[in-house]
Amino acid sequence: MSAIPASCTMGQMSDGRGIMNKVLLLVFALMALVPAQAHHVLGRPAYSLNEDSNTPPSMQVETQIGQYDVTYMVFPAFPRAGERGRVNLYATRLDNGQAFAGEVRFTVRDDKWFGDKHEETLGTQLPDDHVYRQGFVFKEDGDYIITAEFEADGEPYIIDFPLRIGQPAGVGPIGVTVGVIVLILLGVNLLKRKQLARVKVRYARDELPQKAREQ
Amino acid sequence: MIMTHPGLPENWAWLVMAGMLVGGIWLLLASVPKSPRMRVISLASVPLLGPVVRKLAASRGVLLLLKVLTVLVFLLVIVAGLFGTPIPERNLATLLTWNLWWSGLILSVFFLGSAWCAICPWDTLAQWLVRHRLWKRVDSGSSLNLRVPRWLASVWPALFLFVALTWLELGVGITTSPYATAGIALLMVVLATASLALFQRKAFCRYFCPVGRTIGFYSQLSLLELRPIDGDTCARCTTLECYHGSDTIEPCPTWLVMGRMQQNTYCLSCGNCGQSCPQQNVAWRIRPPSVEALHSARPHWDEAWFMIGLLALTGFHGLTMMPFWETWMRKLAQVIGDSGQLLWSFSIGLVAVMAIIAALYAATIAITKAISHSRLDFKRLFSTFAFVALPLAFAYHMAHNLNHLVREGSGIGAVFANPLGIDTAPLSMMEKHARSMHMWLSQDTLFALQALLMLLGFWIAVQVIRYRGGALLEPGSRWSRLRLLPLLGFAIGITGFHLWLLMQPMIMRM
Ligand code: SF4
Ligand code: SF4
Repeated sequence: MSAIPASCTMGQMSDGRGIMNKVLLLVFALMALVPAQAHHVLGRPAYSLNEDSNTPPSMQVETQIGQYDVTYMVFPAFPRAGERGRVNLYATRLDNGQAFAGEVRFTVRDDKWFGDKHEETLGTQLPDDHVYRQGFVFKEDGDYIITAEFEADGEPYIIDFPLRIGQPAGVGPIGVTVGVIVLILLGVNLLKRKQLARVKVRYARDELPQKAREQ
Repeated sequence: MIMTHPGLPENWAWLVMAGMLVGGIWLLLASVPKSPRMRVISLASVPLLGPVVRKLAASRGVLLLLKVLTVLVFLLVIVAGLFGTPIPERNLATLLTWNLWWSGLILSVFFLGSAWCAICPWDTLAQWLVRHRLWKRVDSGSSLNLRVPRWLASVWPALFLFVALTWLELGVGITTSPYATAGIALLMVVLATASLALFQRKAFCRYFCPVGRTIGFYSQLSLLELRPIDGDTCARCTTLECYHGSDTIEPCPTWLVMGRMQQNTYCLSCGNCGQSCPQQNVAWRIRPPSVEALHSARPHWDEAWFMIGLLALTGFHGLTMMPFWETWMRKLAQVIGDSGQLLWSFSIGLVAVMAIIAALYAATIAITKAISHSRLDFKRLFSTFAFVALPLAFAYHMAHNLNHLVREGSGIGAVFANPLGIDTAPLSMMEKHARSMHMWLSQDTLFALQALLMLLGFWIAVQVIRYRGGALLEPGSRWSRLRLLPLLGFAIGITGFHLWLLMQPMIMRM
């Protein structure tokens, strides 16, 4: 893994032409149809389009920790190795909705079960309009964990978020499945051969005295 | 951003409650006949349809073709899940598996029983891998043919796996991850293959498969059953091809003898019995859906727990799709210091709901035993009356899934055209609204069907209480029927809870 921190100041460009139409259509749809409401299943990645701007789709995870509600967004939704990407983070108090204003430190490590997880610091950010923006560029595809750390009310807060760079390896699960099945079948085959050999020996042992008796 | 579907309107709920009132009064006042009158129609004897049904039951070609087709679709799901877009609503793996298959499967059980198991791709692939044949009988192939150890030979493993699947589905959220969906599908193939390679016949289907056992228990309430055409022919049979198989046909994979079949629970609709019977004495029959729950199904301790587990998990399923569920989880997470996916909070919620339903049922049985002064032990009463849970769980499960299917199935055409979702963006709010507008049935029809299902479930539960209660508890005066009040209260309470769940706005799956 090698993540190069890149400070990111990319603002959201707005597309004034389409917004009005979209907003109107949305309002009509909302009135005519079901009572829709925003909802995020906590801690799970969700992909969304920002219909009010030209920004690419984003991946978003919303969760809570201690006294804070934390939202983490990744731009673009599917970052690739060698491409600039950005993490946006907002943290608001659960009780009064007040945005956190202190420093947030971002680190990254490999998301793997075994072996060296190789942690690197991405940077420490102050909020810009309540949003913490941390840029990144990764050299290699893979699964990573972004950790955001901050201190509030004298308590340390550490929260992990997933980050996928590039396409996940599709052949991995297929390889594991085929491997496990082949192992099972080979093992069973071996045991069957042993069973068969034992039966043959027993059969031969039973046969011999019988033949001798017949002679 | 996830949206909600509107809940069942109040007037429909009043209608269901009125039906429940009538059912309750009827339970207390009407006399109970010794055994229910049940008419069955053998499809083999229906003019014109009969010969076709017989032919289909005896033919292997059609079944093989269907198996090959499901395996192909299954492989497409794997490819889409592993190599396609991670956006769940644009990927065939998630949309087909969770919105269409899992929702439709439960509904299909009512009409077709365990038909899915006849063409299940996990089992088909396992068969091909272990037996090395497409369909012909192989005596052992690469299987060790071991006996299933006693401690595993029950439906406890299936119940455990069903809880695990629910945890993965609703807690971890594999329903919104095409990659994880494909992973679980592959895992099922591995489990089915391992079991087939180790144990006799299809031990996986009989004891371990959470999907197969769910289908099996629900198919006790199916309109369809596979039974002997003439019972006497079976009684005279000494060769039992249905059980042992023939030279070319495999034996019954779940150790059933057709002549003694009383319930659908373990039948996989594989058709082996029909194909191997030299008398062609096996046929599909249409029957009232309550026949097994009322009297023919035999009570067993592990099966009773599975039915109570089904009841708890279906209600839990509905609960997690309510907007207030997240508020509860957030509060709990704050108390226990949970963060991230709030999996600890979710797990506590899951265990709590299961424990509450099981405790409620156990308390109902204990009170029934106490007030009826029954000499039967608690275990026997617990197992026998567990059939009350089955129609309640099935009715709510169908009503809930109908909502998903009718309201969320519309995107499937577009996803079939681009199964991997190549170059697609997440659904915009407009598209989400458009999808929810294109319902497969009108909203009023959907509400009517949901109300009808709730009534049907309650009605069958009341019938179970009448018949099973009448047969089990010693006869007494006319008022002795009051001994069944705790069970009636249980059925009313659970139906009321399910009705309330249906009345809430429900979160759209993806
Ligand atoms: S029991 Fe499970 S594995 Fe067996 S056929 Fe049915 S769904 Fe498939
Ligand atoms: S052989 Fe057994 S599992 Fe297959 S259809 Fe007949 S009874 Fe059902």
